[in-house]
Amino acid sequence: MQLIPEYKADVPRVERFNFLSRFTHWGHTVTFLLCLFTGLALFLNNVDWLAAIFGGYAGANLVHRISAVIMTIVVVIFVIGNFKVLIAWIKDILRFGMNDIKFLLLFPLEFLGFKVKVPPQTKFNGGEKGNSMVTPTAVIFLILSGYIMWFPTIFPAGLVRLAYPIHDIAMVLATMMVCMHGYLGSFHPGSGESFWGMWKGTVREDWAEHHHKTWYDETYGDKSKAE
Amino acid sequence: MANLTNLYDVSKCTACRGCMVACKDWNQLPAVIEPFKGNYDTHGGDTNGDTYTVVRFIEGEDPVDGVYWKFLKYQCMHCLEPACMKVCPQGAYSKTSWGATFHDPEKCIGCQYCTYACPFMIPKYRKREDKISKCTLCVDRVEEGLTPACARTCPTAALKFGDRDELLAEAEERAKFLRANGFPRATIYGRVELGGLNKLYVLTDSPDKFGLPVDPKVPGQISFWQNWIQPYFGWLIPIALGGSAISFVTTRILANKNGDHTEGGHE
Repeated sequence: MQLIPEYKADVPRVERFNFLSRFTHWGHTVTFLLCLFTGLALFLNNVDWLAAIFGGYAGANLVHRISAVIMTIVVVIFVIGNFKVLIAWIKDILRFGMNDIKFLLLFPLEFLGFKVKVPPQTKFNGGEKGNSMVTPTAVIFLILSGYIMWFPTIFPAGLVRLAYPIHDIAMVLATMMVCMHGYLGSFHPGSGESFWGMWKGTVREDWAEHHHKTWYDETYGDKSKAE
Repeated sequence: MANLTNLYDVSKCTACRGCMVACKDWNQLPAVIEPFKGNYDTHGGDTNGDTYTVVRFIEGEDPVDGVYWKFLKYQCMHCLEPACMKVCPQGAYSKTSWGATFHDPEKCIGCQYCTYACPFMIPKYRKREDKISKCTLCVDRVEEGLTPACARTCPTAALKFGDRDELLAEAEERAKFLRANGFPRATIYGRVELGGLNKLYVLTDSPDKFGLPVDPKVPGQISFWQNWIQPYFGWLIPIALGGSAISFVTTRILANKNGDHTEGGHE
């Protein structure tokens, strides 16, 4: 049984994510997971063992805050350093259309492993567009509400009280998406190749054409050459 | 066991601050020295990490009654249904059999959820220990049969300690007497507020004149968070994990059935 599709260097490959995108993606992954597990020590009840991994609740608290600051820096690096990519990403999300709705309707079958004929997708398919909307929004809310709770005395008390449920809701939504995203971007046989897109930066050309036909045609296909 | 509580009668208080000193003394709390702010009030009329109880000096002018100067002893209200106890993720709060809301600093991690859940914002952050602190209703004294330090020291008997039901009856008598003798708005505080407080007040005027919330409520954001988000919302995470696990198995079963498991990632 194969977990992740093998990386094939000897077939034609096309670039999917540039270095800064990949660097900030994995920086965000590490800090998010550290924040998640240190935060769950408080969110869940009776998980002293989870806090013990980080040296008790005081240690978990420290790791949570250090990771949160690094996560904030990573997000700022992405937004400033990769501004063009960010705009292209947002534009791609805004292309949400009929093909994305069809994708989302067919996706549960593909998710379970049935073979379905999916309409051509742009750089990000319907599901990825959904993830691209929910997770960054949740992370922005996590960061804002987190700093409000960290420095409660400089904010109005009503805002601090609101930050608690917001931090939890955003955490649950983001973690739910991260569970799906992590699985689909690695062990899911249909989409596992996209792991190499985020790890090495390139994906197999035939995979790109098969899974993201609109993007492939516009970027590397006949349409791009015609321009 | 019946609830034991303090009855504080505003009309008998001379604001000598003996209770503040006795509290500091018994609980071994350092003095918090602040610059003079132009009036008798100290600590901004609020408790802090090293001051469990404070006497408020409330100056003002009323169009009818003229200039007034009111005093109020302020501290943890030891609510019968404490919000701090509900939100604490470490279970640092407990209710004693006789009604004190006790905070155990050994379990506290200083997250300050309780501060913002409390309708009075009484639990205060003590920076030097990175923990919360507040009035204990002198649990350590009462459990040994003594009265709390503040009640023991009060020279005018404005502070009394005893059975809550008996003190409530006494408070009603006193409020009735005050209403008939020059304080028409005299009232009791702590009988019904927040489902009952284990600190009773006889006030000579409406609670808002003393800076007390007239109808204190646990903030809506906190109830929403504690009653809905905390217990139920988190289940989305195991559902997502479970879905992925099911997919992990079914995709591979179906792939084996169709005899194509070579080009993983390309159906």
